[in-house]
Amino acid sequence: MVSGQIGGRDARTRAARWDLCLAGLLAPALAVMLLLFGGGLTLGGLQALGYLPGAGMTELTAAHFTRVLQDPDFLTSLGLTLHIALTSTVIAAVVSVALALALTRWSIRSRLVHFVLQVPLTVPHLVVAVSMLFLLAPAGLAARLAAALGLIASPGEFPLLVNDRGSIGILLVYIWKEIPFIALMVLSVLQNAGGELIEVGRTLKAGPWQRFRFILLPVIAPSLAAACLIVFAFTFGAFEVPWLLGRTYPMSLPVRGYKSYADVDLAARPEGIAIGLIIALVVMGAVALAVWLNRLAGSREAIR
Amino acid sequence: MGDLRLEGLALGYGPEAVVRDLTLSVADGEMMSLLGPSGAGKTTILRAVAGFIRPRAGRVLIDGRPVDDLPPERRAVVMVFQKALLFPFLDVAGNIGFGLKMQGLDPGEIRRRVDAIMDLTGLAGLGRRKVHEISGGQQQRAALARALVLQPAVLLLDEPLSSLDANLRQQMREFIQQIQAETRVTTLFVTHDQGEALMMSHRVSLLLGGRLRQTGTPRQLFYRPADPDVARFFGGENFFDGRMENGLLKTAFGDFPAPDTENNGRRPLATIRPEDVRLAPEAGNGSVMGEVTQTRFEGMATRIWIRCDGGLVVALTPESRWTAGQRLAVVFPPDKVRVFPA
Ligand SMILES: Nc1ncnc2c1ncn2[C@@H]1O[C@H](COP(=O)(O)OP(=O)(O)O)[C@@H](O)[C@H]1O
Ligand SMILES: [Mg+2]
Repeated sequence: MVSGQIGGRDARTRAARWDLCLAGLLAPALAVMLLLFGGGLTLGGLQALGYLPGAGMTELTAAHFTRVLQDPDFLTSLGLTLHIALTSTVIAAVVSVALALALTRWSIRSRLVHFVLQVPLTVPHLVVAVSMLFLLAPAGLAARLAAALGLIASPGEFPLLVNDRGSIGILLVYIWKEIPFIALMVLSVLQNAGGELIEVGRTLKAGPWQRFRFILLPVIAPSLAAACLIVFAFTFGAFEVPWLLGRTYPMSLPVRGYKSYADVDLAARPEGIAIGLIIALVVMGAVALAVWLNRLAGSREAIR
Repeated sequence: MGDLRLEGLALGYGPEAVVRDLTLSVADGEMMSLLGPSGAGKTTILRAVAGFIRPRAGRVLIDGRPVDDLPPERRAVVMVFQKALLFPFLDVAGNIGFGLKMQGLDPGEIRRRVDAIMDLTGLAGLGRRKVHEISGGQQQRAALARALVLQPAVLLLDEPLSSLDANLRQQMREFIQQIQAETRVTTLFVTHDQGEALMMSHRVSLLLGGRLRQTGTPRQLFYRPADPDVARFFGGENFFDGRMENGLLKTAFGDFPAPDTENNGRRPLATIRPEDVRLAPEAGNGSVMGEVTQTRFEGMATRIWIRCDGGLVVALTPESRWTAGQRLAVVFPPDKVRVFPA
């Protein structure tokens, strides 16, 4: 008992020293990041508060934020952005869990499967978006293929899947990109802990559905939630995909923010930055929550 | 209520069978130890009884009914694993009540039964703790409670004490024995520790290299081993042969009665445990002379190697006065000599 405590304290001091060491090594990089990132945020914040000396605006005011928040179009954009982020995240999460379960269930450890799973991680969103455009556009590959196969009479009958009302093109890009990310996170948890606890569940007379509901879900929940939050944060704040595959109205928040920021009218700029900051706030909140959940998942593994 | 019978089981993972031709019965209310060195196939057998492995041959019967077509969740057996494997997302009471919840019992009833089993297993008051907030011994007890609360026909324990330190281990042995006596649950207890098996169980079954070599009471295995391998597993070191004449085995160390050994012309082997070998400074009745070649102090006893005409003899004695080179008389008391059935 006593030696255990000493060992524990020892390990803790060692860990603390290690942290300090790491902090020292990372300090230069951190300083640069803080300056660029923090500085950018501060400058942005100032501009959003209407401090734009170049355009003759020097009065600090929260009016831009209020204007942004009260604009009914802002709410429409927010709604669209939430729709894109939430729908793609939820669908990707469901598919990922099913995929991860299937892979563990049939104990598929083949390198090929894992390689294929990792491919989408490496392809930039922009590339996927452009490909999707070629594939799904009204006169795109899919439309022509469907027509050639006789599924539809002419390419013109192909349903509108890009720049469409339901943002289906955008969702498809995100779902394709995010499934491997979430699936690999879930897979690693399952491979570490899932099997043994499932056997415990079986010998304690839990049926297949009960094992899923009362063992697998709780086991993967923290990691799954963390992965989903990260994906949500990304899709909430990303600009290029909705810009390419979205409609001109309503615009997603990031597109709207960019448009206002880049407007020829400098007076629109604070609004653009205000939108940017609102997005940043949501994203940072989601990431902070994800980090916390990830810690929780880690501390659980330490118990076993 | 539950008895377990394994009939002609063959088990394995790859092309080679790990366990062959295993037949074993555990009676209702009995505590049976499955003893064997690491890698002998003990866990494999428990996993087959629990339903995680399908036998290649043979049957598993519980209360006389074959269960080979039932998955683990439909068998009346519960297995406790080597690691406690508590669910990290549930508190202690949640873990213990897990199986009852899966059976759809109402929460009041679950709480009542969980409280009762926590009293029995010395976990009272710890129900709201997280599983990492209790000690290793308490975690093992929680794993045991989680199984016991389901009142299985047969309880399977796979070396549940092997992760605990020596003191705690001893406490837990007595504890498990006491719980088993109180609940009278039919138990198949796996261990590689012969002391543990001998002190805890009604009967012991010794598994060597995937085959059952002997099943019997602790005394039978210890004092009447079926063959030299069994004797060796329990610390036997002295093996010698002789000739049968009129129910007596004539050897270089004397003549020993061997009522259950046939006079079939072969030369039967006999053994005597090192601690049963008697030593004396002078030759006497029935003694043979020898010379000490080596001694080793082991605390409670000293192990002595003696070269005699009939071969090397190992003795374990509380006396520490013998030294290498000394000559002494060795006596094998006839009632301590075990002649193996030829
Ligand atoms: N999952 C497995 N796959 C292949 N071989 C295994 C597996 N589990 C155990 N074995 C082999 O089966 C033999 C018996 O193992 P096990 O039943 O775990 O022994 P014990 O519990 O007595 O130590 C060992 O030789 C081991 O290597
Ligand atoms: Mg084992």
